[in-house]
Amino acid sequence: MIELKNITKIYEINKNDKVTALNNINLTIKEGELVILKGPSGSGKSTILSLIAALSKPTSGEVIVDEKRISKLPDNFASIYRRDNIGFIFQKYNLIPTLSVKNNILLPLVPSNPNENEVEEKLKKSMKRFNISHKKDILVRNLSGGEQQRVAIARSQINDPKIIIADEPTANLDEKLSKHFIEILRELKSSNKTIIVATHDPLFFNLDFSDREIEISNGTFV
Amino acid sequence: MILSPEVITLLILNMIFLFFGTIAFFLSVKIYLYWDINSTSAKQYSIEKQSFLAATIIKYIFAIKLPLFLFFIFTLDKISNVLTGAMCAAGVVDATPYGIYLFVFKLVNIYLFGFWLLLHYLDIKKENLPYTKFKFAFFIVAFFMLFAEIVLEGIMFAQIDIDKMVSCCGTLFSNSAGSYISQIFKLDTSVLLFLFYGSFILILIFSFLKKYLLLLFTNIFFIIISIISLIIFFSTYIYELPTHHCPFCFLQKDYFYMGYFLYVTLFVGTFFGISSGVANMTHQENRRSRFFSKVSLIFNSVYVILVTSYVLFYYIKNGVFL
Repeated sequence: MIELKNITKIYEINKNDKVTALNNINLTIKEGELVILKGPSGSGKSTILSLIAALSKPTSGEVIVDEKRISKLPDNFASIYRRDNIGFIFQKYNLIPTLSVKNNILLPLVPSNPNENEVEEKLKKSMKRFNISHKKDILVRNLSGGEQQRVAIARSQINDPKIIIADEPTANLDEKLSKHFIEILRELKSSNKTIIVATHDPLFFNLDFSDREIEISNGTFV
Repeated sequence: MILSPEVITLLILNMIFLFFGTIAFFLSVKIYLYWDINSTSAKQYSIEKQSFLAATIIKYIFAIKLPLFLFFIFTLDKISNVLTGAMCAAGVVDATPYGIYLFVFKLVNIYLFGFWLLLHYLDIKKENLPYTKFKFAFFIVAFFMLFAEIVLEGIMFAQIDIDKMVSCCGTLFSNSAGSYISQIFKLDTSVLLFLFYGSFILILIFSFLKKYLLLLFTNIFFIIISIISLIIFFSTYIYELPTHHCPFCFLQKDYFYMGYFLYVTLFVGTFFGISSGVANMTHQENRRSRFFSKVSLIFNSVYVILVTSYVLFYYIKNGVFL
């Protein structure tokens, strides 16, 4: 379960210029839920995702995931938490263009140094699941947008995380590929993953398999 | 006042330490007063970020101070060439009344900063950062020591008069010297060697028995007795002169800079020996204490083998002891 308690996040650009991204918000997301965070750019959606992923800390309040106060974790423990629990799908995929599909997908496994057989098995399973096996050795910069998206999803799933966070996942995709991504989400949801998607893409609104849609504006829930 | 390029380098670095150390000091006071790991207030989150900044500053001060200690000795050794009567760093240390205190401060501060790093290391290994408040309180004390060291260093270099004749190490480190150093020469050599090898054997025993607290105290005793025995006994075999006891001359090129190696092994060995006890007191699991005691044992053993080998080689070569 994910809990955000009295969260305020202020970005201090300089002494006189502060932006309040989140203003005293409270949110609870149960295990296995699919939550769509919707709202315009700058409303605070990505900030919520980065707090849940322990990529940043709140200005005040706390984030609790499975009874662990992750907003209070020191950086080294936050990294371990992310590695073990979070699968992140970024708007611009954040793949390493000079690495092959295989090596991009395997990146999250590097810190845990698993044995070769385990790696091969996970890689095979992940590539097959997201239909990218045939491009295994191709550099990701030579892939289409949709294929890069699938590599990014495969990478986010290689560690079998409990929580999947997607930040504007279809912003760079056409409608057909966006619908394909939604089908992938459906499949992930069926495997009881907790999924949080921040988007302003109308294709995500009123999905038959989403549990909740939360609208956010100017750092507060509408 | 003596202003060689090395002295100017030391003084500039001291100013940098003082500047950043002062920032870390004020942050440490704030952290000590307001740290509450359970709080989710904006103030606590801000202090957590500041603790990261303060810890980074302290780590870098230590990272530079450690090799700088060797550079300091090198500098003293170098400027001994321009002081009438000085044969090595000992003459420069004795050139002003502050030299010996500065030397003691430098040594103590290296250990203090080392222990701060150890505390920091133990602290960040736990999610709830249990030693944060303590480690910054420790730094507040260490900062005053650092401040005293910097002031003493400035005064010492300012008061060195190159026209004034100073004593050479042969006079300073002899039983005829009028200083308190001469008091250590009253110790009986056989008692001293018994204490030296005895404390080393105790270190071996406590390491194997994993008695880390006893290891802490034995290492403190070992470093004191090692320095005294180095001056009184082993130095004569390094120089192959029964009357020369200087703890600085063997830092020179003539002795292949062997002193640096001896001091580094001794300081690293005893530091980790003491650290194994500190780690044992703060953590219930002994994995780190075991690692520290192993490092300590290796370096202390190298030190003992080195100084002993000088005596043995002399005996093999000449058929007599000094």
